[in-house]
Amino acid sequence: MNTHPSRPPLPSRGLALALILLAGAPTQAAAEPAPDLPFPVIERFENFGPDHGIPASKVHAVLKTTDAELWIGTWDGLCRREPSGNFRRFGPEHGLSHKMVLCLAEDQQTGDLWVGTMRGLNRVSAGRITAYTQTDSGLPNNVIYGVAVSGDRVWVATAAGAGELQLKTGTWKIYDHNNSLMHEPWCYAVTEAGDKIMIGVWGGGIVEHDPRLGSFKEHRDPDRDFHFDLVPDDGPINDITSWLAWENGVLWQCTYFGMSRYDGRNWKTWVEGKSPLLSNFTQFVWAHRGVAWIGMDRGLSVTDGITWVNYLVDDNDQGIQQIHRPNQPVEIKPMPTALANQFVLGLQVDDEEAWIATSKGLSRGILAAPTKLTRLSEATPDQRNQ
Amino acid sequence: MKTRGMIILSVAVVIGLGGLLASLNLNTTKRQSLRIFVHDRKQALGLNPGQRDLEHMRIMTGLKDVSNVSCRHCHGIELEHMRWNKPRRRHPTPEGMVHSPDGGGLFVALADQNQVVEIDTATRAIKRRATVPGKPIGLAIAPAGDRLFVTCREADTVVALNTARFEVIGTAAVGISPVGVGFAQTPNGDRLIVANTGSGDASVIDASSMTELARVNTGREPYGVQTSADGRLAFVASRLAEMPHADQAPAAELTVIDTVRTRAVKRYPLESAHLSESIALDANRGWALTPMVRVRNLIPITQVARGWVMSSGIAFARLDGSEVVQMPLDEANAYFADPADLVLHPRGHRAYITSGGGDVVTVLDLDRMFEWLEEASPAARQRAIHDLELAHDYVVARIPTRRNPSRLALSPDGNTLYVAERLEDSILLIDTRTLETLGRIELGDGGADDPIRRGERIFTTAAKTFQSQFSCRSCHPDGHVDGLTYDFDGDGIGDNMLDNRSLQGLAGTWPFKWNGQNPSLAVQCGPRFAKVLMRTDPFSDDELKDLVAFIESLPPARSRSAHLTELTPAERRGRDIFFATHTPDGEGIPRDRQCHHCHAPPLYTSRMKTDVGTRGPTSLIDEFDTPHLLGIGASAPYLHDGRARTLEELWTLYQTNDLHGVSSYMNKHQLNDLIEFLKTL
Repeated sequence: MNTHPSRPPLPSRGLALALILLAGAPTQAAAEPAPDLPFPVIERFENFGPDHGIPASKVHAVLKTTDAELWIGTWDGLCRREPSGNFRRFGPEHGLSHKMVLCLAEDQQTGDLWVGTMRGLNRVSAGRITAYTQTDSGLPNNVIYGVAVSGDRVWVATAAGAGELQLKTGTWKIYDHNNSLMHEPWCYAVTEAGDKIMIGVWGGGIVEHDPRLGSFKEHRDPDRDFHFDLVPDDGPINDITSWLAWENGVLWQCTYFGMSRYDGRNWKTWVEGKSPLLSNFTQFVWAHRGVAWIGMDRGLSVTDGITWVNYLVDDNDQGIQQIHRPNQPVEIKPMPTALANQFVLGLQVDDEEAWIATSKGLSRGILAAPTKLTRLSEATPDQRNQ
Repeated sequence: MKTRGMIILSVAVVIGLGGLLASLNLNTTKRQSLRIFVHDRKQALGLNPGQRDLEHMRIMTGLKDVSNVSCRHCHGIELEHMRWNKPRRRHPTPEGMVHSPDGGGLFVALADQNQVVEIDTATRAIKRRATVPGKPIGLAIAPAGDRLFVTCREADTVVALNTARFEVIGTAAVGISPVGVGFAQTPNGDRLIVANTGSGDASVIDASSMTELARVNTGREPYGVQTSADGRLAFVASRLAEMPHADQAPAAELTVIDTVRTRAVKRYPLESAHLSESIALDANRGWALTPMVRVRNLIPITQVARGWVMSSGIAFARLDGSEVVQMPLDEANAYFADPADLVLHPRGHRAYITSGGGDVVTVLDLDRMFEWLEEASPAARQRAIHDLELAHDYVVARIPTRRNPSRLALSPDGNTLYVAERLEDSILLIDTRTLETLGRIELGDGGADDPIRRGERIFTTAAKTFQSQFSCRSCHPDGHVDGLTYDFDGDGIGDNMLDNRSLQGLAGTWPFKWNGQNPSLAVQCGPRFAKVLMRTDPFSDDELKDLVAFIESLPPARSRSAHLTELTPAERRGRDIFFATHTPDGEGIPRDRQCHHCHAPPLYTSRMKTDVGTRGPTSLIDEFDTPHLLGIGASAPYLHDGRARTLEELWTLYQTNDLHGVSSYMNKHQLNDLIEFLKTL
């Protein structure tokens, strides 16, 4: 199985400049808002690494809480950004169940942070870390790929099924191939989807769970082909679900073979080469105001399903911005600064900024002022399915 | 001849009764009881049990030698006959108190009688009564005095009373076993903060709509609540330490909650300390104060005679979060056990603290304490709790009370201190200006004719221990557990930690002690215990009887919400596993390794010692008493040495070749279900 499709060479700086000239765009345009884009673009990146106290190059997850605290999960511990701008590390010596942090979620009711690691789940609450492992709790498995909070329940996607912790009773429930429509128990992602829970199963597509009814519904790739999307838009692009995001009735699915969107009725799929998607190896997606911010091994793609803006790093570490407008030539611009690394592992975006966890440090995307904020819901059905 | 004749007659009666058994139309329980009666008479007459009886006992117990087994190990046990399930006298015990803002009324929660009463402070008479079911215990009043809020410990609710009509106007469901409650006026509306002792969290309630906004994780067994003057913060004191590993020093927690944003914002660990039940704020000086017990459980408990095994103090936590200083309440050879409530005089010069085991109210000169705190070096502050000479500098008075002073309330002008003398059904009034007593409000007769009440007085007094260092309650708050392990003599001392077991639901579960050597509670609490642990004279026979009556009156602990009535599907599946005789594959489980064989209902114990492979690295014996499982979900840690911090660990980390029940066939679903069932017991 080829999970890393061959990638086209990135444009060198010279080629990039040539493309920019061909596109007629001014070379200094990066600092200005791109005209007529329906969502904000990043005009430059600020990067953070060991000099700022980040203990490892690989940053797996990033989360900005409702209290505006910034947390990152790294290969070597959990870090919080201090008022000084530097990061303070928390590791097993502080009670964390394992140093390798994979995912983060906030309980917005209580401000507690839930931290999934390679060995156990952790609750960080006002400085206290409480660990839950598969031997001392009902956690299905120690490998926590995804975590989400829905009301008074914490959901985890683990290597042996999805787990649900009812915070008020301390009761654990496990969902796997034994008691749900789950092709296999290896879960990679979980997200709240309104009053439902969506579970991304590594080889089993998406399992939709309705906690009120206790029911399950499976969303699988209808063509069941791992390598090709034989029939576009017929369902999830692939069963290898690597991440999920949900916002306002729209579900976004990352796979290692492309990207999908589901609005509750229709599916839309994108693959590299047939769309501006930078790579089929999509790793993470964050949905904000109807726009998907997609992290992958070749950079960051941002799309509302119609317009695309890609952020790449060329061979000379030059940051490149590609703008794909419908029915228009691609606009390619160099950026004053580049992503810390092109392999994007995690994201969080709000109206103020974009935080990007990469394989070599953390990036903050400084947003240019938007010229037009268009919600996906405002787009016509034709535009949405374009 | 006469004696021989009587024996012959007795034998004939017994044999005759035995023969009658088959012909009588009795239900199973009565038939068993009659059989036991016959069997007991046989044994009393020196008649050996028959071969059939012996074979039955061998099969059912899995033991070859059944010489120490009687019918009563398995038969004749009915929960309705347990003392804790029988009607008992209900006392007007003052459990919670709060003064009305206008000074005219004192509200008192009488948990045992499911009532809240208003006392006219002028006449010292009960003015009004309101029925509040579910053991009302904690009280808070709105600043306008129009609403009184009451936590109901057994109903898992907080109710709002209209003070004009003195009737319930609203109810909110909260966590398990709520106790402390605080009221806060915030920019976002009125809030209640409720400490849920059983679920280890605090409910933040919208006091207008009586709806729960959030459930904030606190320390273990949160108990006391105090809100800041601006209403933005609530301070929650927890009784038990976070679950430490058996060889780690405990540390209870003081949690600070942002009442507007409904989240914990600060947690103060109280090093080597626990059993904090209340909290007070000195905002001007920037400190939070909470009473605490400094516990030294990791060294052999026989050290009592050499000084202390626990001592009382106050933890001072700087509101900026920078430090916690523990200061002693005790003196070198005089201890004041079980500090319970703490209030500060409105003018901030004095603090008053009850000693539930020492029967005193200690009056503290706060000015001197803060002066010392400001002048002492960091190292001196760190060592303060160990310096029992310090208290002389700031203890103004020790005012004697009747038995078991607990809650305190100050009149709004600060001139009168009300002290709930819990086990005397009275409230002592103290003039804070002269420190003279002003008399009492008698709520009842004290219940001295009730053996259970007398037993609780013994249970809670420190007068029976060397230098009054501690009471039974010091390790068994509410008769339950303090969540610690002690270097005790169950199977040797010196790095031989022993889990502290709950006394709740203990009736009928003999033998006692982890090594199962004590056949009765009277022996367990008898002379040896007094000499080894208390280092003092043993209880008298009458005291012992009363103490046993009290312990046996304690119902099992509860770890399940009162709002749940029926078993959940997971709990039902867990019950099936617990009573399984075969694995899901149809393979038979040997009788002696079926859960319910040793943990036989209704008490969930066989009342025998068993070797289930749980011997620990420092244990000296293999066989341990089979603990009953009533309330097991609330009594962590587990195993005789407290190795297992959770129920899960019994089967994940400390399972030994299916000796402790056949469980190797279980997957994680089944283990979770089994644990859910156990938490219902």
